[in-house]
Amino acid sequence: MPDGSYAHPQQRQFNPYTENGGTILAIAGADFTVIAGDTRQSEGYSIQTRYAPKVFRLTDRAVLAVNGFAADGNMFVKKVKQRLEWYRHAHAKDMPLRAIARLIQTMLYAQRFFPYYVYNILGGIEEDGSGAVYSFDPVGSYEREACRAAGAAQSLVQPFLDNQIYFKNQQLPPGQTRPLHLSLSDVLSIVIDSFTSATERHIEVGDGLEIYVVLAKGRGPQGLEAVRGAQELTTNAEGDRVFIVRRELKKD
Amino acid sequence: MNSVYSGPGFDFANTARNSFLESRGLPLPKATSTGTTIVGCLFKDGIVLGADTRATTGPIVADKNCEKIHFIADNIRCCGAGTAADTEFSTALIASNIEMHALSTGRKPRVVTAMTMLKQMLFRYQGNIGAALVLGGVDADGPHLFTIHPHGSTDKLPYVTMGSGSLAAMAVFESGWKQNMTREEALDLVTAAVSAGIFNDLGSGSNVDACVITASHTEMLRNFVKPNERVQKERSYKFARGTTAWKKEDIRDLIITEDITVIREGEAMDIS
Amino acid sequence: MNSFVSRFASTGHDVELRKAREAFGDEDESLEMWGSQAGFGPLSKGVPSFSVPAVPDPSAFLRLHTDDHADPSCRIKIKHGTTTLAFRFRGGVIVAVDSRATAGSYIASGTVKKVIEINPYLLGTMAGGAADCQYWETYLGIQCRLHELRNRERISVSAASKYLSNLVYSYKGMGLSMGTMICGWDKTGPAVFYVDSDGTRLKGDVFSVGSGSTFAYGVLDQGYHWDLTDEEAQELGRRSIYAAGHRDAYSGNTINLYHVKEDGWKFIGNYDVSEMHYEGPAGVGYGYEIRTAGKSSANPPPEPESQTAQT
Repeated sequence: MPDGSYAHPQQRQFNPYTENGGTILAIAGADFTVIAGDTRQSEGYSIQTRYAPKVFRLTDRAVLAVNGFAADGNMFVKKVKQRLEWYRHAHAKDMPLRAIARLIQTMLYAQRFFPYYVYNILGGIEEDGSGAVYSFDPVGSYEREACRAAGAAQSLVQPFLDNQIYFKNQQLPPGQTRPLHLSLSDVLSIVIDSFTSATERHIEVGDGLEIYVVLAKGRGPQGLEAVRGAQELTTNAEGDRVFIVRRELKKD
Repeated sequence: MNSVYSGPGFDFANTARNSFLESRGLPLPKATSTGTTIVGCLFKDGIVLGADTRATTGPIVADKNCEKIHFIADNIRCCGAGTAADTEFSTALIASNIEMHALSTGRKPRVVTAMTMLKQMLFRYQGNIGAALVLGGVDADGPHLFTIHPHGSTDKLPYVTMGSGSLAAMAVFESGWKQNMTREEALDLVTAAVSAGIFNDLGSGSNVDACVITASHTEMLRNFVKPNERVQKERSYKFARGTTAWKKEDIRDLIITEDITVIREGEAMDIS
Repeated sequence: MNSFVSRFASTGHDVELRKAREAFGDEDESLEMWGSQAGFGPLSKGVPSFSVPAVPDPSAFLRLHTDDHADPSCRIKIKHGTTTLAFRFRGGVIVAVDSRATAGSYIASGTVKKVIEINPYLLGTMAGGAADCQYWETYLGIQCRLHELRNRERISVSAASKYLSNLVYSYKGMGLSMGTMICGWDKTGPAVFYVDSDGTRLKGDVFSVGSGSTFAYGVLDQGYHWDLTDEEAQELGRRSIYAAGHRDAYSGNTINLYHVKEDGWKFIGNYDVSEMHYEGPAGVGYGYEIRTAGKSSANPPPEPESQTAQT
């Protein structure tokens, strides 16, 4: 009975969470990883901004995509970056990818009773030079995978990825072979098509697309030369390299 | 309950059961809703109506190019927002009744008549019919523009908007509408208002439909502007023959071959 | 800045000072966040610390936002649904699990590792909250290693499982969710302990946990006895998880099979449930089509060659 009086006991709920839409995805190749996310941030039927990055470069070999509640996500990325900087000061090197994955688990689990409402996907290059994707749930359970989609259009994109990356529900036609790993150009076009399709059918996906490409040390840029507007973000040219590719998505 | 026959109209037999199920955590299936921006505006010679073309089921786009400007009479149209089925059936029902009314009175239908029929029907159902409408037309008294809310209340105004994109569209009207606009000015303003909804409201999207109604003529401009064409895919997703697994192969011959042996010669048919 | 540099420097006079301070347990708070305490920053001093929302009833708050059984529309969906089993026999311990994680009706993952390799001779299984199991069983691994270093011998399965059960009991009512089997081989021979987040700890021969456990038990109990050969035991574990994957919507995808022997655990293999249905582990499917072929009108006997060759 919300009549403004205090005659009756009143119940209030503490609701610090909201959902800000958007979708992220990552695909690992033999010696590269692609991590992407759209840039729309929304609440309900309103667009808060058409450009709010959800994918962040952590080191030259690690990129983190964050989806869910934007305030929690931004704070979480900030704290991960801080811990990585401390590590850099202490050890004079970047933290290895599998160690970042474990770090993210403990950071999420530390909030087990007041969780960050975020779904994380960590992508990059492992110490052995292989591409890797780690996906997390909001309280820190994690797993290394070849590909993963998360966020608003997860249920639209993941089945497509299962079909195109894992070849689920596809029998090998007689006389044909299947590559062990997809090429970078194939992966990039699958990523772009995932987002244009998600934009068509999901109202919370759209506006812009940011694709990060991490290449293993010593790997040439083959598959990336033909891509329009690829921009390098690498800080140390001797190690693994990070690139960003931006694309427009529909804005309705 | 005790009769196999059920009368016309709505059947409320399952309402108690469904509200019980809902309280036990089994929500009703979602109805397709037209999140929607619908608008209408008065100009020198008549009325311009506008609508977007997106229909949604929750956050999923159910139809990218649906029609939200419904026919009521030759000189009256109605834009619908809310539950898609409710707007379609309410407008269709009133269109039918208006035609009957026109036939029995021998006069061209009036916009107020349609408006009254709609509001009385919606009021009777106490908001259970989720139709939010923009009704416009030109009749013997001149141009008229109404909004009708799901509970049955109505407004008569020179420029109106409805649906989830109504605030975005109204912002455009409030800054751009003036009296005695030309047809082109009004059409541009309606397009701008609907576009504001399409781009700023997640419930609205795709194309702009418009309809210009004047005393002499009604022009339906389906997909008047298409600012959101689907982009070309990067790859072809054609599957090679043999991709689909099967458990059993069964080839049947559908051609029936019969050998007919003529036992007795009949008389030749007279074909002269 | 100077104090920051000196804190992390490995030489110099203040290092000696710091060592002295450490010896007296007078450590700076922020050092635990420093970066390399095995990734267990908040746990480095043995006492885990968790941030808790500032509300009168934190576990009710957590339940409000995470309990997807009571409220399917809640925001944070924690992965559930599982079949896991472990049994003890003459040749060691068989551990078999499925690999499906579900969030509501959505299959969040089909490649989950539900056997947690605590160390080379201890295995834990995952049922309930994935993060709870992963985190605490990794933590248990740390404590087991510390036990080794302190006592110069491996921890018994009994002690390890009791450590875990005491730990989760201290969080009772806070919303942890785990149902796990701690499996290994120690001085007493093969051992299996069931531990869950209510605080239950049971010693036993045969356990199965999760939404598909009833289906697994059906096969397991029927085929179990102490004197199974290694091959028979592995097949029983695999066949039991298959049965659960086949009948339980919340279990499936693939089977992970482990065998613990005296010299530690060994990963036997990963098996696709639908491949098991049609082809089985050795070309004979587990599915019942093979058992009904030619014996009913729905599955007529194959037609003789001469007739089918016509088309």
